[in-house]
Parts: sequence; structure tokens; C-alpha cells
Amino acid sequence: MSKITIGQFYPINSPVHRLDPRVKILGTIFYITVLLFVNHFAGYIVAAVFIALVTAISRVPPALIFRGLRAIIFILIFASLINLFFTRGEHVLFAFGFISITLEGVVFAVQMICRLVLLILGSSILTLTTSPIRLTDGIEALLRPLKYVGVPSHDIAMMMTIALRFIPTLADEMEKITKAQKARGAQFDNGGLISRAKSLVPLLVPLFVSAFKRADELATAMEARCYRGDIGRTKMKSSRIKRSDVFAMLIMLAFFFAIFATRYL
Amino acid sequence: MIKSENLNFEYAAFGEGERPAKALRDINLRINEGEFVAILGHNGSGKSTLARHFNALLAPTGGTFRVRGLDTRDSANTWEIRQTAGMVFQNPDNQIIATIVEEDIAFGPENLGVPPDEIRRRVDEALAAVKMTAYADFPPHNLSGGQKQRVAIAGVLAMRPACIVLDEPSAMLDPSGRREVMETITRLSRESGITVILITHFMEEAARADRVIVMDAGQIVMDDAPRKIFSRVDEMNALGLGVPQITELAFELKKRGLDVRGDVLTIAEFMSEFSRILRVSSEFGVHSSEISPISSELAQAGEESHCEEGLSGRPPQENAPEKQTPGGQAPVLELKGVSHTYSPGSVFEKSALRDINLAINEGEIVAIIGHTGSGKSTLIQHFNALLRPTSGEILTRGEPLLSAAASKKRKRRKKMPPSEANPTNQAYAHVGLVFQYPEHQLFEVTVYKDVAFGPTRMGLSDVDSRTVAALESVGLGPEFYEKSPFELSGGEKRRAAIAGVLAMTPDVLVLDEPAAGLDPRGRREIFAQIKKMHEESGITVVIVSHSMDDAAALAERIIVMNEGEIVADGTPSEIFTRGDFLTEIGLDVPQISDLGLPAGIFTVDAAADYIAKRAAESGETCGNSHSSSATKGEGL
Repeated sequence: MSKITIGQFYPINSPVHRLDPRVKILGTIFYITVLLFVNHFAGYIVAAVFIALVTAISRVPPALIFRGLRAIIFILIFASLINLFFTRGEHVLFAFGFISITLEGVVFAVQMICRLVLLILGSSILTLTTSPIRLTDGIEALLRPLKYVGVPSHDIAMMMTIALRFIPTLADEMEKITKAQKARGAQFDNGGLISRAKSLVPLLVPLFVSAFKRADELATAMEARCYRGDIGRTKMKSSRIKRSDVFAMLIMLAFFFAIFATRYL
Repeated sequence: MIKSENLNFEYAAFGEGERPAKALRDINLRINEGEFVAILGHNGSGKSTLARHFNALLAPTGGTFRVRGLDTRDSANTWEIRQTAGMVFQNPDNQIIATIVEEDIAFGPENLGVPPDEIRRRVDEALAAVKMTAYADFPPHNLSGGQKQRVAIAGVLAMRPACIVLDEPSAMLDPSGRREVMETITRLSRESGITVILITHFMEEAARADRVIVMDAGQIVMDDAPRKIFSRVDEMNALGLGVPQITELAFELKKRGLDVRGDVLTIAEFMSEFSRILRVSSEFGVHSSEISPISSELAQAGEESHCEEGLSGRPPQENAPEKQTPGGQAPVLELKGVSHTYSPGSVFEKSALRDINLAINEGEIVAIIGHTGSGKSTLIQHFNALLRPTSGEILTRGEPLLSAAASKKRKRRKKMPPSEANPTNQAYAHVGLVFQYPEHQLFEVTVYKDVAFGPTRMGLSDVDSRTVAALESVGLGPEFYEKSPFELSGGEKRRAAIAGVLAMTPDVLVLDEPAAGLDPRGRREIFAQIKKMHEESGITVVIVSHSMDDAAALAERIIVMNEGEIVADGTPSEIFTRGDFLTEIGLDVPQISDLGLPAGIFTVDAAADYIAKRAAESGETCGNSHSSSATKGEGL
């Protein structure tokens, strides 16, 4: 479980990596929204070309980007099968009992696959090219205006950072405790719901005890390093909008017009 | 730099009826700019409490504590003090905040509001100072313990402190990690002139400081140069601390009437000291003044008797010797051609064990040593079927570990409670596995219930008598039964957790680093307990350790692992002849074995006896008395 990777950041230094995280987050949201407007296969081709281009510039191995698809492969297959079998239409290609496959169904299923795949690929690029801490920085910056209506944007970002930092540590710890309790005869995978919930006690109590201890020590360590919230704080990698960011935004705009154009094909 | 006057500190009482705990009493301390000070003391002596005063994490409840003239009680000074005196803690995992190394190092300066360009410069400098530049982009959880501690040190350095306080920075590290951290600390102290305050349990580490402060019961009991402190061997032993092994050896020699300085601190010092004595006493004037291993000098004094001992130069066997237990029984645990590969077929594929052949006999006490990642943890998890071999088989008393239990299960399936019918459970009960930091698995309301958890889950009979016996064998009496495991002290918690495994009355007890993180006294206690248990019940014990000292103190047989293979298997004396090889694979050898003494000598007593005997013999043959050697010795 130590192999667990959160946000699977691929640490190299490409132009995409260097983009301001705010630009990348907003860009990704924009991209996903635009994807929903596509109603023609040409639109998917435009989006695919766009993704391929960004991937090439980011120098992230395409295999890594495709790996993000593994998580949704079952959803993908399941959803497309449902669409395939249960979409009604005029052009029946194949019928057996209550199952019929129509041309519309095929088109719809393929479109849905395209949309989902492109969506996942796009967000994978965001997480692969942006370190979790830059990502949280970006979110913090984007949330900053909300500070004036009482949203503690800095605290939220700090909590996200610490959570990201400790997920692998706690996962390791959990694995260790599981093994130790198993060696004492604890079983976690059989019995009814209640006995299963009960069997988690030997796992969860030590995990919580340790998590609280860690939290306490971490808080002391942070205080020792002069942490006092966002009072007078600076950032090593302060995000400033650079020329490349403006350029990226222009490309996004061009992408939007290209997609929009395909609607009128 | 640091000045405290009549410093007192008490922790506030939690419940009613509890009195505030007095942790520090009348501490008067002055530490100058640029000093390297080590603070020693067993757990509960107040040294960590004192450490927390250096950067105003705690403020005195009586007296004053000043850092560069700033009073720590005045909260207006807090941030300046924390910037002046940075702090590194024991657990490397619980002080790294960010998910990327360089961003973590930037955390301190960011908090101080340093401009971004300046932070970048400081981060690069700090990375270079701890030699971690190549790891700037790494996520911390992919680093080793030693590397994580160096990142933590860099994180403090980036704040440009005048003083760095390290609270047992190496307690949770393996020997190579400990070396990395100590090298870093020593270099910093020497090259950057920063004031270093090192709290430690390791006497060898303290010996590197300019000054050692010893604490006991909240007071400073000694404060002097390490040479002076460690020459007070009896006092240090009485405090439960001990001295570096080499110092102890010199002390023992002195006790045996040899004219040796009692304050040697390093192996080099010991060598020059000793060649002086030996050369003068036996007039081996032909030797150069260069430091050479003692054995080459001693060899001439007592070559024949070496051969009689019949041990010197005999290499340990490469493979497990096919030993038979006296009764001719099959071994209690036997591994044949066991290999283990993690996540086979995936990108993470990693071969952890390769073709392990190993037999552990009834009643043996065996130590398995190897550095982190050598495969020893993977190996012991095979012993009780937590992990299954990718290939090969595991036998217990001639029967396969799992199928023996499984066939019983088929026969009696319906009569047995589900947990006992489970073959893996039988393997768990056969081989009790105590993990590293076992106290982390305590969860029940009372100590008794926690210890009874194992036997109850296993569906064993006589849960009560097993529980009581287990608690007794770790030295926890009835007064502990109804206590919450969380209110015990560190050592007691560990013993309770070991009892939790013992209660399943295993045939083999496997302990992974049973002394990890304990202070010297706790270490000795736990080893004495294990030894006693072994002697009384004859249980087969397997101990996993980084430390050769532990292995030497306890085991009759040592198995050395490296890169997933068994590279040596033999008696301690056989293993310790290969000091260079052991150091090469990242293990910590006892200082004694660096002296180049003949094989079979690896404890202070044995070494002292041997050297004293040789010196006496060589003295006699040449007709020189010790008194004359002493006077001549002064002249050299």
C-alpha cells in the first residue's frame, strides 16, 4: 500500500508544469464544460487533438495519462453497454427478445465513451503536471475572494496539504496494524454487518490513537517552525500570471471557438 | 546564547487529586555560541521538557530562561526565539508538512514572511548543507528515515537559526540512517559554527559533542566534557545510561590493573593507547607508530593460543547448517527454497526474498539481522503465514505450515468455532509475531482484555490462565490488569503488547526490533525479560534487529540478511569475524569488533580478559613489569 499515489504528480519541468495552477484549474473546468457542448464527432476529434497536443508539450508519458482510465474502466463498459442495449431508435441493427441494438444506441454509446475518456484524460493532465501542493495553492488562491465572506481559504488549503501528506503514512500504518491484529486472530472479512463493524474496532482504535498522536506532534513541529496561520506569510513559489499563462488562456479560447464551430457542421 | 537561572517547570495536573508533575528542578545552564552540547538522560529525566524550553514551546513555571537575552515567558518574543533556536523532533514522519521535499523546507521561511527569491536561495542552501539536493522534488514518503530527518534539519536551517535543538533525532532510525544524521550534525557544528544541542540515548553520539550534560529526575547531575563524563563509568551505569563500548573496555582494562587511560572515546584513541602499553611492556620496538589492528601486535605475543581457540579466520558458513535438534526432531520451523515477490507482474514488482533455506530448531534463540529493506520483515511474516511464499514451502516439525492445519480443519470443521477452524489462525498461534512498536496495536479498555483478545479470537481454551501467565512472564502483575493500556509507560505498553502475543502460547516467538525507541535502561529490561522467558519456558525465540549489540547480547545464532538473501548464518563469534563485510552491507558492528581482536571476542568482558591476559603474558616473557611500562609510557 506504500505504492499509493495521490494526485500522481509526474515531476518534470515542462511548459505545462510551469503554468500557474490557477490557470490550469480554471482551464480544466473550462475544458470539461466545453466538452459538454460537443454534439458532433468532429468536436471530439478537436478535443482529442487538443489533449494530444497538451500531452506532447507536458512531456508526461501518454501511458501515465491513460492509466487514469483504469479506475473508470468498469463504469465505462457498464454505461456503454446500457446505452448500447437500451437506447431506442429507428435503425434496429440487431434484436433478440427485449434486447435490441440500434444505430442511435451505438452512436450514443461511442459518444459517451469519447466524452468520458476525454474528460478523464483532461483532468489527469491537471493532476500529473501540478504537484498536490501547487494544486492546493491554486485552490487557495481561487477561494481567496471568499475569505471576505468568512471562508477560511488558507486553513482549508493547509488542511488539504496535510491530508495529502499523511494519506500514504496512515495507509502504511493501517496495513501494519491490520497485520498485527490478524496475527492475533482478528478477522475483518466475514460475518454479518454488525460483526464486521465490530471487528474493525481493533483496527480503528489504534489507528485513531496514532493519528491523534501524529496530529499533536505535527502541530508542535509546525509551531516550532513559526507557523501562525496566514499572518505575514509568503510563498516560495508565488503564483504570478506570466506571459505563458496568458498564452495558455488564449489557446483555451481558441479551443473553445473550434469546438463551438463544430456544432454548426 | 542560552542562559537559564533556577529554571523550574511543572506540568499542570489533569484530573482532580493529581498533583502537578514537576519535570524540571532548579536548572542553571549556560550554553555559549557555537557549542555542540549533548544532553543525556533516561526517559522521564526531563531532557525533552528542557529541550522544549529552548524554543519557547514551553515556558518556565519558575525561574528564567533566556535565548540570546530574550525571555521565553514573554509571548512577544516567541517568534523571534523560535527563529533563533530551531527544533528537530524524534519522529521523522510527524514533522514534515508538505508533500514535496523543497516545499517542506520552504515552510519555515514562508511562515516568517521571507521574500520568495530569498526563500528559494535559502532552500537551495539548506538542501546542499544536508546533501539532499538530488531529492528536492521527492515526496517525503518515498525517502528513508535518515533522509527524512535530514530534510527536517534542512527545514530548520532554512530559517537561519543560531541554534538547532535535536530531540532524539536518530531514535527511530536504522544504523545507516543514524550515521547519515550524525554526520550531518557534526558537519554543521564544525563548518557553520551553529550551536547544536543534541538529545540522545546513544553514548557514541554524545561522545562527539564538545560538552555533555547528564540529567536525572529533572535535574542536571553532570555537566562536563565527554571525556570527563564517560570516565565516570560507575556513575553512568548507576544512572542507567552506560558509556561508549570502547570507553567501557578501557575502564575494564584499568580495573584489571593495566595502565590505560580511562577516558578514551574513539577507536583510534584506544588503538594508540593500547599499542603504547603493549609496545612498552613487551618492547616491540620494531612496529611503526601507525595505528594498526591489535591482533597483528597481539598475534606475535600469543600466536599459538590463537590456534588453540580454533576460531580465528574461520569464515561463517554461507548456508544454513543442517543442524539436528538433540532429540532428532524435525525443526520447529523450516523454509525450503522460499522466494517472495511483491505485486508480481505489475510495474511495482519487487523481489523481496530469494531462495531462502533455513531451519530453526526447537528451543533456539536466533537473531536475524539486516539493514532496512534487506527482506527480514518479509521473511518473518512468512513464519506465521501472514505472507505466502511465491515459491518454495514452509514446514513446521516436518509438516507444511498451512496444510497441516487445513487437514485438521476438514476433519473437525463442524465442531469448531470459525476462528479456530481457520488454518491461518493456527499458523498465527503456532508462531507468535510481535511487530515493531507493538504498543501501537493496543486497543482494549483494559490491559487484561487486550491480552486476552488473541486467545479469545483463536478460540483457545483456558483463556484466563493463558492471559495471566502471559502477563506474568512479561512482569506485569495483577495491579495492571484493570488499567487502560493507554495509561502505561512506554516500556510497560510494549510488554503488555508482547504479552498479547504470548497469551496465544506460541511455539515460536518472533520479535521485530523489540527494543526500538527505548532508552538504554528499557532496552536492557526488555532483553533481560526475553532471556528469562526463554530460559524458563524453553520457547524458541527469533529476534529481528538492526543492532549487532542486541544480537550479540542475546542470541546463540545469528542469521544475516542482505538483498533478500541469507548471506551468513552462524554463531555470534563466527559472524563477528566479518566486521568489514557487515559494515559494507549497512550494519552497525559493535565497536569491539573494529579492534581486530581474534574471533570469538565480541563483548567488553571477553575483550578485556583477552587483552589483559595477552598483555600480562607478553609482559612476563620480556620480563617487564607494568610499573616500568607506566613510567616509560609517560615519556612516549
